[in-house]
Amino acid sequence: MPKLRWPKATLALPAWVWLLAFFAAPVGLIIWYSFGYKPGIFGTHSNDILSLDRYAEALSPTFFATFSNTLWVGIVGTLICLVIGMPVAYWMAVKVPVSRRGLLLAAIMIPFWTNFLVRTIGWQIILSPQGWLSQGLEAIGVIDGPLEILYTRTAVLIGVVYNYLPLMILPLFVAFDRVGEPLREASKDLGAGRLHTFLRVTIPLARPGIIAGLLLVYIPLMGDYITATVLGGAKGNMAGQLVASQFQNAQNWALGAAMAVVLILTILISAAVLGLIIWLATLPFRSHYRLRLGSGS
Amino acid sequence: MTETKRIALERSAARRSDASDSPATAVKPRRSVSDRLFAIWGIIVLLFLFAPIIVILVYSFNTGRLLISFDGFGIEPFLTILNKPAIQSAVWVSIRAGVFSALFATAIGTFAGVAMARRPGKWVGWFLVLLVLVTVTPEIVDAVSLLPWVVFLGQDLGLTIFNDGIFRLVVGNSLFSIAVVSYIVRARLVGISASLEEASADLYAPPLRTFWRITLPLAMPAVLAGGLLSFTLSLDNTIIASFVSVSGTTPWPVYVLSAVRSGLRPEIASVSTLMLIVTLLSLAVVAWVLKRSGDSATQIARTMAGG
Amino acid sequence: MSEDSIRILAPKEAIPTIKRELSRRNFLAFSAAAASVATLAACTPGGGAQPGTGVVASGGPLEANLNIYSWGDYDDPGVVQSFTDTLGPKVTFGSYGSNEEMISKLIAAKGTSGYDIVVPTGVFVTQLAAQGLVVELNHDLLPNLKYMDPAFLKQEWDPENKYSICKAWGTTGFVYDKTVITRDLQDWNDFLDAAQNEASGKTSVLDDPAELTGLYFWANGIDWNTTNKDDLDAAEDYLVNTLAPHISAFDSYPGGVAIPEGTQVLMQAWNGDARLGIINGGEPDRWAWRLGSPATELWMDNWSIATGAKNPEAAHAFINYTMVPETQLIQLDYIGYHTGAAGIEEAAKAEGLEMLDLVFFTPEQLATMKNGELNENQDRVVAIWNTMKAAAGA
Repeated sequence: MPKLRWPKATLALPAWVWLLAFFAAPVGLIIWYSFGYKPGIFGTHSNDILSLDRYAEALSPTFFATFSNTLWVGIVGTLICLVIGMPVAYWMAVKVPVSRRGLLLAAIMIPFWTNFLVRTIGWQIILSPQGWLSQGLEAIGVIDGPLEILYTRTAVLIGVVYNYLPLMILPLFVAFDRVGEPLREASKDLGAGRLHTFLRVTIPLARPGIIAGLLLVYIPLMGDYITATVLGGAKGNMAGQLVASQFQNAQNWALGAAMAVVLILTILISAAVLGLIIWLATLPFRSHYRLRLGSGS
Repeated sequence: MTETKRIALERSAARRSDASDSPATAVKPRRSVSDRLFAIWGIIVLLFLFAPIIVILVYSFNTGRLLISFDGFGIEPFLTILNKPAIQSAVWVSIRAGVFSALFATAIGTFAGVAMARRPGKWVGWFLVLLVLVTVTPEIVDAVSLLPWVVFLGQDLGLTIFNDGIFRLVVGNSLFSIAVVSYIVRARLVGISASLEEASADLYAPPLRTFWRITLPLAMPAVLAGGLLSFTLSLDNTIIASFVSVSGTTPWPVYVLSAVRSGLRPEIASVSTLMLIVTLLSLAVVAWVLKRSGDSATQIARTMAGG
Repeated sequence: MSEDSIRILAPKEAIPTIKRELSRRNFLAFSAAAASVATLAACTPGGGAQPGTGVVASGGPLEANLNIYSWGDYDDPGVVQSFTDTLGPKVTFGSYGSNEEMISKLIAAKGTSGYDIVVPTGVFVTQLAAQGLVVELNHDLLPNLKYMDPAFLKQEWDPENKYSICKAWGTTGFVYDKTVITRDLQDWNDFLDAAQNEASGKTSVLDDPAELTGLYFWANGIDWNTTNKDDLDAAEDYLVNTLAPHISAFDSYPGGVAIPEGTQVLMQAWNGDARLGIINGGEPDRWAWRLGSPATELWMDNWSIATGAKNPEAAHAFINYTMVPETQLIQLDYIGYHTGAAGIEEAAKAEGLEMLDLVFFTPEQLATMKNGELNENQDRVVAIWNTMKAAAGA
């Protein structure tokens, strides 16, 4: 007689229920609100009349400028993370002796274990016009007056790159490590120069890790506005702040919801577009034969 | 090992010994220069990563009134912590919420990860879509949607548990953590064949025992890494916490956020230093446990990055 | 339509040297009253509190905690500590930078915010009460009301002080760095001019909607409570297109960091916050304070108790505790605002507190300060605020 067995898939049931109840439902509700309007001074939302007017408002020129600013910071920040992080990840995966790797990994991750807000405040202290960095640079003549970086978009960029750099380095490290020494050696044995090996062997094999790193950085970065609040002052207006302000100050949930939806769509569409651009750009670097790594090289 | 691999290794070994025999070859000096450049870049980036941490560490000894202006060295800020119940309460709330949400998210996430790895089916695709949505949604959207929702559940539907501060924080922190843990556990288990579990089933072990004695230990590094990540993410969670938190159970990041507006005091740096030390200690413990189970640093990193 | 409300400081009262005895007596009387009342349920029912209901506290025993949602750094820590030491409840604070933020939180939380005391600015009190976001105060538990200057009680938004008691009143002006702006600035037009010239990129304005549109209206002689659409359009156009690009920060508390650290050169500020910043900054000669002219604001912040408060007894006890004259003086020195107590000006001068010209004003100055109003322009004003912030960030 076959025993009655719970399908193992029921193990996932609690997660299903929880995520549906506390993610899908509320976010769905918010999307519903975005088609409504704000009734009166102390009303927050009403869906008696449905329209897309809130979306038109959310995309009005001034707010649109904020969305494009967020996009700029997001893309530039991610690219800078990539440029800074890739050599480090490569160094750790390839050049550093195996015994030291654990230490370096821990070192890279330690800032990650500090509180996000506090380490951003650390940058506020470093970049302060009265601080030692400003005074030092002034003394050696690099700049003429007090450091002017704080409360500009540059400061936001520094802060954002800093906060998300470990999230880029870690997947890149794993990816480069997976490629493995033997394959690189084989490539060199077959006469390829180091650059050639890097471009035609290492990068294509590490591509999933690179993509993971890019996404891990880009997506939270687009939604982040805390860094911008601490380091950017008025100039650090990111889209997340717009959404927050509609809920926290203006009590205009309908408009806030519309802005939230616009933000999500911006992230998804921009990620897809960038992915497409990268795919097209790396087409010439594709090798003729597709190398596949087995599980656990 | 295969013939090709052996030849490749021999050749590279030969090449290396050749290089060391003739230091004047054009290849070697360029190699070490680029190696050095890599190392220099690595050190610079490490310094960059540690700069604010060191600054906060130093400024936690600032005896001045404002965090941002350094007045003198002293341990007063640490002592002030003892006089500020608001700070102590904030840290304690953060720790409690972090522990509960880490336990909860790890448990649920592990179950989901195991289910995805061992019982794949059509539902996995849908579940992954849900997980991806959770990951891709900016935290601010989660935050603004959760607050009306928990208020609705707590007030309009009368489920008073949703008025409890810690419970609200756990709900908010758990979403992303569940996605992370599920993904990590699944990635780990997918790489391990199911033969051990099948053997256990063949030997008449009930499914629960198989899960407990075989599957879970196999996935343990991923579970631990996931748990640690959940705890850290929960401690760090600022945006969702600032929306859903109930006064009286204010978590630490929300406290700091309001201090950013009204003026930061050195105690904040001191508390961060203390919390960093505690986090590092627990990290060391987890790393030691993982190392004992045989994982190298690289494998740990792999687990955390989801394979 | 608001009438000009002129606030005249009350005639002097002799400060009784026996005020200490009075407060001790008062405390004994209060605790006797508290002890003699039967022990009723001290807390309102948790969760579903009814909006705008009557008095929620009845003199029962004090709870163990108290949550205050207030403006930043608005109470002397020593006073709070001695409240805890004397009467028991542990106090936690939350802070906000604008009334809109506080109201949004209360509305969204529907009574579950966890806050007991909130500190709204006067003009919002009527609406808060109408929306059921604050509850009535029990005057039996507030005997120290007698120490308050009657001129500051019974305001037009709450004539019987059913929902609010004056905590502090103040006004809006600006502070500038004399080493950078070498000419003498006098009024709001000078402020706007300097913001676009010497102080461009180093100017901060208050992070509060009404003060932003007020900036334009005060400078141009328009009633800042206007609901005229053309006025509002003109204000939006000026603020968003002309002024916003020069703004580097929206900061309601420049006295906290910006003045001591010198991160900005020109700052719109509330008087008490400016005073604290200049005193604590250590360089009092570097900064100049100007009261906004030809017109500016008169705002009054009030103690109120939020609907859904879990600790109403403690809340009443705290409000009562702060109204004792010496406590009022300590508070004044800490926050830099007139706390509405009777005879406090003389007491402050007798104590030799610094920079009192930023706390007490002449009748001529008071004549230029106008109360705000909560009317149909509120949504538009808030929208202008958000748009201006977005424009400043571009």
